[in-house]
Amino acid sequence: MAGALSVLKRIYLTVYNWSVFLGWFQVLYLALKTLKDSGHEHVYDAVQKPLLYAQSAAVLETKFTIQLILFKILHGLVGLVRSPITATLPQIGSRLYLTWGILWSFPETQTHILVSSLVISWSITEIIRYSFFGTKEALGSAPSWLLWLRYSTFLLLYPTGITSEVGLIYAALPYCKESEKYCVRMPNKWNFSFDYSYAAILALGIYVPGSPHMYSYMLGQRKKALSKTKRE
Amino acid sequence: MKVAVITRSGKEFFKGGLELNDSATVADLQEAIYKRTKKYHPSRQRLTIPLQPGSKEKPTVLQSKKCLKEYSDGNTDKLTVVFKDLGTQVSYRTLFFWEYLGPLVIYPIFYYFPVYHFFGYRGERVIHPVQTYALYYWCFHYFKRIMETFFVHHFSHATSPLSNVFRNCAYYWTFGAYIAYYANHPLYTPVSDLQMKVGFGFGVVCQVANFYCHLLLRNLRSPNGSGGYQIPRGFLFNVVTCANYTTEIYQWLGFNIATQTVSGYIFMVVAASIMTNWALAKHRRLKRLFDGKEGRPKYPRRWVILPPFL
Repeated sequence: MAGALSVLKRIYLTVYNWSVFLGWFQVLYLALKTLKDSGHEHVYDAVQKPLLYAQSAAVLETKFTIQLILFKILHGLVGLVRSPITATLPQIGSRLYLTWGILWSFPETQTHILVSSLVISWSITEIIRYSFFGTKEALGSAPSWLLWLRYSTFLLLYPTGITSEVGLIYAALPYCKESEKYCVRMPNKWNFSFDYSYAAILALGIYVPGSPHMYSYMLGQRKKALSKTKRE
Repeated sequence: MKVAVITRSGKEFFKGGLELNDSATVADLQEAIYKRTKKYHPSRQRLTIPLQPGSKEKPTVLQSKKCLKEYSDGNTDKLTVVFKDLGTQVSYRTLFFWEYLGPLVIYPIFYYFPVYHFFGYRGERVIHPVQTYALYYWCFHYFKRIMETFFVHHFSHATSPLSNVFRNCAYYWTFGAYIAYYANHPLYTPVSDLQMKVGFGFGVVCQVANFYCHLLLRNLRSPNGSGGYQIPRGFLFNVVTCANYTTEIYQWLGFNIATQTVSGYIFMVVAASIMTNWALAKHRRLKRLFDGKEGRPKYPRRWVILPPFL
């Protein structure tokens, strides 16, 4: 019975990882094709649907991981989930913020050239990541070249991705201010206010310590992962 | 007695070790280490008994009042201890003073000074009575905390790492400013008179109760920080393990009912979750220590922190 359950789990995870892989592959393909045929202004339009789908998968994954952690804490079980939440949460957070909080909310940003670099950076990273896990679930292990890709492409794609994110947030600022979208003003009975532009500036501020932190975390992961295979 | 001091990686910290009296205490050892190194004040030394490699147990920490003999289990003339530097330390009193001073000073700045001109709000500011009472309530609260720090609390550890000063001050000072900004805002909307009275009234009652809880906790401990755990008893402690946290949270609830700001409620929720974390650990520890076996009392059934929820 336990054997059947773990086989089911493996099949499920294999299918899951490969379908999200396909989603991101679609994003990359459409992005490159549109870039070539029509120019960077049209990239967002082309990738919007598969991008939003692939993002939703990531959100569900995170929600599941969080619930798993909570379950383990509540039941006094201690164990490590695949990646520490402090490293994955900022990544998911920035993805969601850019996709929904910037691009979807302020269409004026969708024709920006940084959308292309953003989408290409994200999709290549995710294609490698999901194919890595998909292969591991299906075959038990992943080829060493895939492992190498997983822990090396970030060296270039983190800077390009982060630059795109920061650039797009910055580009959106005048539109945030002008449109008053998501802003709450005083007076109101809850004595609360929220300014989306200031929040965006705060988000930019977080990138200052956050980016070196994430990058050095990945460097550490790289060292661990690639030295382990050398020893085996 | 010869004491070998090693680092966590197994290396010898002093060549040749230290020579101490057979009747020496851990505190004497710490003094000797301090004399030798000049840098590591006893409060930043963490000395433990070395564990067997691969052992999953938590290492035994040497307690300063105990005799070294108690840790050498049989071998009375030789002892090995593992040294860890805890970093620069400050006394808890120092830490608490600085973190509470911020809110005490920052909040009145928003009340008394034309701060809002810098945010673009020109013109006269109408101050509602509730805003004045809120100022008194808030300042009294942090003044009380500082007084308790110096005259009431008996601390289990004498010191805390220096980095906590920056972390805790950031927390208190930022939230203090965040709440003060809205509570003293020119466009502030007050609640009804009744709601204000209920809020502040309830808050004051809880603050008094909180003070009494602190007095009870103080009497559980001796003043020279020898720590040790006791079952708290009396007043609300008969019902809730961390009644001091309970009253603290409810006192903020009173403040928020009276002043009604989202920022105030956010602060209360964050503070409550931090305290709940501590309360769960304390409750668990007390239940583990007072398990009813070997003549020890059994820890009674109690709420952890917030009846009727937890």
